[in-house]
Order: sequence, then structure tokens, then C-alpha cells
Amino acid sequence: MKSNSEAILKVSALTKSVQLEEKTLELLQPVNLTVNTGETLAIVGSSGSGKTTLLSILAGLDLPTSGEVYLKNHPLHQFNEEQRSQVRADHVGFIFQQFLLISSLTALENVMLPAELANLPDAKQQGLALLDAVGLGERAEHYPSQLSGGEQQRVAIARAFITKPDVLFADEPTGNLDTKTGVHIADLLFQLNEKHGTTLVLVTHDPKLAQRCQRQVEMDSGVLKEVKLNNVNQDELPAHMKVG
Amino acid sequence: MSELRIKPSKTWVKQSLRLLHHEFRRGELTIIFLAIVLAVGTVFSLTGFSEQIKQAIITNSANTIAADRVLGSSRAIPTEYLDKSDSLSLNVASKILLDSMVFSGDNMLLSELDIISEKYPLRGEFLVKMSLDQEVPTSVSAPKQGTAYVEESILSRLNVKIGGTIEVGVLPLTIAGVIVEIPDRSYRMFVAGPAIFFNIKDIDKTQLIKPGSRVYYQYLFAGERDDIETFETWIKPQLNETQNWYDAKSAKNRLSKVLDSSEKFLSLASMLGIVLAAVAVAVASRRYGQRHQPMVAVFKALGASTSHVKKLYMLHWGLLSLISIIVGLIVGYMLMLAGVSAIESYLSLDESQLTFKPFVTAVITGLLCAIAFAIHPITELISTKPLDVIRGFSQSKLPRFGWHQVIPLLALFALLMLFSRDLIMSLSLLLGGILVSGILLLLGRLIMGAGRSAGAKAGKAWHLALANLKRRANENSVQLVSFTIAIQLLLLITVMKSSIIDEWQAQFPENTPNHYLLNIANEEIAPLQAFAEELNLDNQGFYPIFRGRLSAINGEKTVSVDDDDKGSSTTETDEAKEEEQDKPKERKGAGRELSLTWQEQLPLTNEVVEGQWWQIKETLPQVSMEKGMAERLDIKLGDELTFTIGTDEFTVPVTSIRDVDWKSRQLNFIMIFNEAAVIDIATTSISAWMISDQQKNEVYRFLSQYPTISIMDFGAIMKQLTSMIEQVSIAIELILVLVILAGSLVLVAQVQASMEERERELAILRTLGAKGSLLRNSVLFEFVALGAVAGLMASIAMEIAVFFLQTQVFEMSASFHFSYWLVGIVAGAGFVGIMGMLSCWRLLNMSSLTLIRRTM
Repeated sequence: MKSNSEAILKVSALTKSVQLEEKTLELLQPVNLTVNTGETLAIVGSSGSGKTTLLSILAGLDLPTSGEVYLKNHPLHQFNEEQRSQVRADHVGFIFQQFLLISSLTALENVMLPAELANLPDAKQQGLALLDAVGLGERAEHYPSQLSGGEQQRVAIARAFITKPDVLFADEPTGNLDTKTGVHIADLLFQLNEKHGTTLVLVTHDPKLAQRCQRQVEMDSGVLKEVKLNNVNQDELPAHMKVG
Repeated sequence: MSELRIKPSKTWVKQSLRLLHHEFRRGELTIIFLAIVLAVGTVFSLTGFSEQIKQAIITNSANTIAADRVLGSSRAIPTEYLDKSDSLSLNVASKILLDSMVFSGDNMLLSELDIISEKYPLRGEFLVKMSLDQEVPTSVSAPKQGTAYVEESILSRLNVKIGGTIEVGVLPLTIAGVIVEIPDRSYRMFVAGPAIFFNIKDIDKTQLIKPGSRVYYQYLFAGERDDIETFETWIKPQLNETQNWYDAKSAKNRLSKVLDSSEKFLSLASMLGIVLAAVAVAVASRRYGQRHQPMVAVFKALGASTSHVKKLYMLHWGLLSLISIIVGLIVGYMLMLAGVSAIESYLSLDESQLTFKPFVTAVITGLLCAIAFAIHPITELISTKPLDVIRGFSQSKLPRFGWHQVIPLLALFALLMLFSRDLIMSLSLLLGGILVSGILLLLGRLIMGAGRSAGAKAGKAWHLALANLKRRANENSVQLVSFTIAIQLLLLITVMKSSIIDEWQAQFPENTPNHYLLNIANEEIAPLQAFAEELNLDNQGFYPIFRGRLSAINGEKTVSVDDDDKGSSTTETDEAKEEEQDKPKERKGAGRELSLTWQEQLPLTNEVVEGQWWQIKETLPQVSMEKGMAERLDIKLGDELTFTIGTDEFTVPVTSIRDVDWKSRQLNFIMIFNEAAVIDIATTSISAWMISDQQKNEVYRFLSQYPTISIMDFGAIMKQLTSMIEQVSIAIELILVLVILAGSLVLVAQVQASMEERERELAILRTLGAKGSLLRNSVLFEFVALGAVAGLMASIAMEIAVFFLQTQVFEMSASFHFSYWLVGIVAGAGFVGIMGMLSCWRLLNMSSLTLIRRTM
């Protein structure tokens, strides 16, 4: 598992609040977090703790109320919707709990989609190769409705890797699957991740899945704290991993 | 990664086309596609069809008027007119038009007689075939004396051949040829019968023209342009209200005006179908927007820019609209061809005359539907946030009032304007439409609400169905309005066809006259009277009749207000009318020549309401007037009325005012004189007889001895009326089919829009242990109830429409048609029930497991 000391995601003093009539709801207390290239990070926490909100801001889908967030040195907090789109097209991959495949496109066309948006050559060959890699080479022309949940998520994984993204964000990737399928999907995800050396940020409340990441952080009522580093001695914690 | 980027290609084009291809194949665009096709097809076919008819009628009828100018008149014109035209060396021809019975052996037929002078036609060609196998027709003028040219249908209907003889009045004429083309054929809605042309020199020998005969004279003028204009300037100020001066253009204008208004009616009626199709587009595009939300969110999350998404969807929607419009045009063209071929036997239509009008109108309709009714959902769709991939999608945003609701209304108004080209009419239709829809909505809500509480007591499936109906009241109201209108049209046609005419006829007493005898010479009265007594025929006596004009009231000249004289396909020029209106001290006149009579005794069905009826052998000339007309012209007892009969004038006082029962089929007159007033006027007589079917042959045989008498069979007129109603019903039925199609589209579109919600509900009910049959029944009953409510409202609307037809148009007492209410309710419930079940079929046949898996 490759991990170098170059920070790919850097968050400092990040807050997010929403105005509900007269009351302000603090979704994220000031959060600091650095993720290095090639690192695998699990964000755990109970429902409503703010982990998905954090993921949205890290991936440039949403903007923070205050604070800074850099993805590959791009200041996302200063970028408008269109600029953030471009950053996502160039550097980011997604896997969603609901799979979110486009129902009127075939499996192959779904996989090709991000490559086309990023104007990459050979989208079709790459797509077919990735479908083969997730074991769905034979089902390339099938529509999502003709695939099982596990198969749909495999297509989504293939879709996530086609642009060889720098960072892959996964939001409860096994949340909609039964345990057995969930394990298979996780295997596939980590296997591809290792092969491509992608940085992975994963939101889950499945401890077993979180366990497979190098590092875990926990969200609790908008406050982020480091849990532990799997396979790494706590005392050897580098400075950038100190959170609060 | 950025080093891998290549020059941006048109990815959005590729993705857009791919999406369109897949969605079309998977049937996801069918409703929108069909709705646009329906709107475009309808507009193209109807506009094209009516234009073809209009053009055919205009080109066939008034290609020329067989002259440069025509003077039409119900009397022979003063000789000085002809002297003047001679002095300008204009060519003059004359034509006399007259309806009369024509005989051949035992057969007889009411025909239009065209009696022409030698020089006819002055312009254009009068084409005749001298034998049926002659290929190229001959261009002729008036036939030789003693011969006639006839329209081909005469041959079969009188069972005679070319060279055979027909009797016109008392004159036998040999058929010399069959008419192929009449240069000044006029288009008349009610033509007495096929045309017979013969020489004007024969007219006296027929003995057909008698005092009081309904005859129309046409004088045709042609010549050098300057001469014609000089003549026109000279003659116009001298024309009176029974004389019409016209050229080809004004004849055509008058005709197009008549045709335009009928076209307008047809288009406006079909507007209903188009508006419904537009509603279907609106509903379907809203669902389209909602269904595509996740896709746009994913696209954006994966890095697509808003402009990428915008271009992608503009192309997608644009192509969809384009394809639908093209298919709509093709469908419309085929429908138009089908319509044209159906009426080809009545009119000779030339397809090459198709103009751009139907094409342009249909394309604009398609664009309006595709853009105005879809712009809001599409803009909402494009602005979907990428964050929604995480947050989830809102399926049913409640529509708020805003500009997006104004645009469809504006589009609707534009559509109305496009068809009617009439601002006031479009505005009132729009407002009226909103009002009627509002009333129907309110009524429907009330009935559905009442049904909800009734349903609570009526078993589980009904309970569920009516609760659903009430909850989806907003959506259902649109369907309710469309089905109500469709069912009402259906009921109205049925009631009109089967009941009203019968009821109208049934209300006349047994001995109501069913034949009118016209053109009876004075010496013929005695034998006819004797014959009627011998056969015990019920008749109301003989009324002498002559035609004349009310020319002054108390010395003030009258002006024409509305001109509905015979031959009204012609028109006076506008200047002539203006000049007439400028004259001082004028009063409103009857506006036409009247049929006048004299009587010593008050007719049985009349009642004097003011003044007194005269004594027999009274020597003071006087007139009795009908109440309605007296009120209209503001004529009081004692007023002095001046009448012009030909060139003679006389003045008499009004000594009584009568109430006349117009509903009876008795002979009724507006003006009745006493004998002293009309002592010098030549007359023919008219009589109304009740002839039973058994007596018919005998009477007809007897009357054939008097060939100049015309018989008007009321039964035959009724048949004509019935067949006219049949034809009108065909037109309404076409529109009905359209409305039902559009209404069904709206229904299917709305069921589709509510599909996710229905799936969720069914899943919950299943999980809670509801049986399949309960679920099926609840869905079925929901639609059955909706259809039944529409049927009920349609029945009420039908009854109101019938009430107005009965009291206003047919002047009969109103009656109820409850048996048709049942038809309306059952038809509505059945049709909507079946449509609803069909559109929910997939959902209802899903296994519980699939259902739960899909929605949980």
C-alpha cells in the first residue's frame, strides 16, 4: 500500500452551519484534517453526526461556511460551482450508497461517463477492461434494472476508477447490500484501490469496513477525532494526523 | 490526470444522442412524443383539410362570375340600365334562376333552373358533353330553343337519356348534353336540386313565372375596363336593397367569409383536443424532469459543467420535439388525405393546392407545446444541484404560483389566436375556459369529497379507492375536465341524433300539414279545392301570394339592416352601403322582400292583440301586421306603411297587430292586407296540405297535371335536416375521438407521474398483508369512480346544452333524458376504469417481493 507524505486533501478550521428559522445549527465544529496521497481513510460516526456533510465538502459538492479546503492544492472553498465541477472531473471519483447508475444507459455507458466528461481517449476500451476487472465483462450491454444490487455497485466501482482519480470518495458503499455481497464489494474496492494507488476517503458505520482502512476518524456531533491507525503504532503519529 | 486531457470534443452531442436513442427504445419518451404528435397531427390535418375544401369551393365556384360585373336582383331591372350599358357598348347576358319541379314520365324532381340568354357566358367557359362517351367537352353558350343541358345526376334520377325529353313547367325540352363545368357556379348550402340550363327564349312557354314566383335575375356585364368602370360609377347610386352589384372578387370575399367562420368553428372545437395534448406534454415533461434529476446530479457530481448539461438537454429535448413534430406532420398529412378522399365524391379537390398555412400552423403548435409547456420542468432539471447525489431527490415539489404558470397560459392564448385570429374571441375563450374548468374542478372536488365519506362505509377496496381519489384531487381534476367534455360531446351527439328530432316532430298535432303547394295559378284553385275535398284532405285554404318591399313607414324611407335575400352569396359593394346610410331620415326596414298576402278572414292560428280585424268587403285599404316584426321596426297601430311591388307603390294604414304561432307548420304571414288594398295586384297562391303516406301517390299523380305547381314535401326537408345533423355529427365525432385520445394521454401521463408514489403505497399495503385482489380492486375502483363522476358531470352539462337547443333553436318544450345519464356514467366509468387499469397493469402484476424490493 503506497502512501507518501504529500498532502492531497488539506482542511483547516472548517465549519458548516445551516440557518433553521431563528436557530443556527452547527453541522461541523472547526475541523482540521490532512490526507496524504495514497492513504485510505475511514470516516465513521453515528447517523446525523456530520460525516456525510464533511465528505460533501471534501469532494467539492458543497461549500463550507468558513475555513479552508484544498484538494490537490485547489482552494475549493474559493471556487464556484463550475470550477469545482472541473476539479471533480479531473481528480475525483465517487461511489454512492444508492449506486446512482443512470437507468437509461447500459452498464458500459455508465462506466464510460466520467471518462467522456473528462475528455479522456479510449473510454470504451477502458470501460470494457474495468467491467472485466469487476467481473461484469459479459453484462456490458445490460441496463441497471437488469442487474442485481451487488452487480450495480460493481458497475459503480468500475465507473469510479475509469478516470484514474487522485481521490476516491465512497459514501456507505456497502450500505445497501447484504453482508455477503458487501464483503465482496469491499474486497473489490480495496483491491482496485491498491492497484491504482488511489487515495480513498470512505464514509461508513460498518466497523469491519472501516477496519480495512489505514486510518479512521470519527465524527461525533460535528466534532472530528482520530480513532486509531490500523497497523500503525499510535506513538509514531505524524504531525499532520493530529486532529481536533 | 490533466496531462491526459485532449482537445474537448462534442461529448454532450454524443451523450445526448445516446440518451435519446435509449430512452426512445425503452418507451420513456412515448407520452411526450405522442402528445406532440397528436397536437401537430390534429392541427395539420384540420387546417389542411378545411383549407382544401375552402380552396376547392372557391376555385370551383367563383373562378369567374362568367362576366366582369354582375347585377343580381329579384325583379327585372329597368330598361334604362340596359340602354346605358348599350351606349357604353358593353356585352350583356342574362340568367334567370328558379327552382321548380321537372318531370319525365312518372318521375319528378325538384331542380334548379338556369335560364340563360344567347351570349352566356361572357367570361370563362361553359363546358358540356354532347354524349356520355365524349372525352373532351365542348365549350358552348345557351342551348337551342327546345333543348336543355342538364347535370349528369338528372339522367339517373329522372331515368332519362341524352336525347330524351323532360318537362319543365308545361314545356317539353330535349336533353342535348350533360354539363361538365359551369363558369359561374355558385356555392350554396341548400341547393334545390341538380341544375338544368335552357334558353331564355323558352321561359314564357314554360308558364313558370307568375306573379309571386320566387325568381332571381342576374345581368352579366363585360367590356373594356374603362367602360365597365364608367358604368359602375353610373349605376351604383341607383341600386336599391334588392339589387346586388358585384365583381368576382367581392363574390369570392363573401364566400371566403362564410367559409372562414365555419373553419373557425371547426378549429376552435378541435382546440380542445390540442389544449389537452398540451396538458399531456406539461404533465409528461414534469415527470421527465423529476425522472432525470438523479441523472443530472450524477453528471454534475462526476464533473459535468452546467453548460454541458444544458447543451445536452437542449439537444435532447430539441431532437425529441423535432422528431415528434415531423411524425406529427406525416400523421396529419395522412389524416388529411383520408379526409379528402372521403369527400372527394362531393367536391373535386386538387391536392397540389396545399399551401404553407397548415404546415406553419402545425409547426408553431408543436413548438409552443414542446417549449412553453416544458420550459419550467427543464430549467428546474438543469439547475439540479450535484449535492443531491448525497442528499437525495425531492420527487414531488409542490407547484408554486409564478412566472412558470404564466408562460403556459400565454402559450394557450397564442394557440387560440393562431386559430381564431380574433383577439376578443381568444380572450373570452381563455377566460371562459378557465371559468368552466374552475366550476368543473369545484364540482368534481365536491363530488369526490362526498364520495370519500360514502366510501368509508362501502367496503375496504372502495374506501381505499375513494381516499386515493380525494388525495390526488388536483391531478384528477384535469382528467375530470377532459373526460367530462368528451363524454358530454358523446351524449349530445347521441341525444341529438336519436331524440331531439323525433321529439320535435312528435310535438306537432296529427293533422299538421306536411306539404306546401306553391305557384298555384288562380284558375287552378278550383280543381285543387275540389280534389282536396274529394279525398278529404285537410288543408288550410289557399293564400294568394305576391312579393314586395316595405319601402317607407309614415313617409320615412326604410333602409336595409340585414340582407338575407335569396342569392345572398352575392354582395353589395361597401360604397353603395355607405352612401345609403348617409341618406337622411331613414327607418329600419324589413331588410328583404316579403311574401305578402290578402285575406278577408283572420287565419285560425292567429290572434289579434291590438286594433281590430276588418269587416268582410271593407272598402278602406288596410294591413294587419305580425307582433314581433312590428316591435322590431317600431310600428304602431295607425302607422302608414308604403309598399313597393315591382314599380308600383301604395300606402295603407296598420289597423291590427296579430300574434302568430310560428311553431305550427301552418302558413303564416307577417303582413296581411284586406282585398281593397291589393285589388289590382296579380297573384299566385300557396296552400298547406296534410297528405298521408297512402294518399301520396294519388295526390302526386293528380298534381302532375299541373306541372307549374311546386310541391314542397316537409318529410323530405326533415330527411335533409336529419342528414345534415348526421354530417355535423361526423365532424363532432372526429373531434370527440381527438379529445378522447388527448384525455387518455393526460390520464396515462398522470398515472405514470404518480407511479413511484403508487408503488410505495402498494408496497406498504402488501407488507401490511393486503391481498392482491384488494389492491387490484382499489386501483380499479379509483378509476371507475373518476370516470363515473366525469360521466355524471357530463350528463348534467349535456342536459343544459339540450335544454338550450330545445328551447332556443327548436322552440319546443324542454324534456329530460335520464336514460342517457346512465349511458354517460357507465361509459365514463367503463372507459376510464379500463384505461386506468391498463396503465397500472405492470404495477398490479408485480410480485410482492419485487414491489417491496423496488421501494424499500
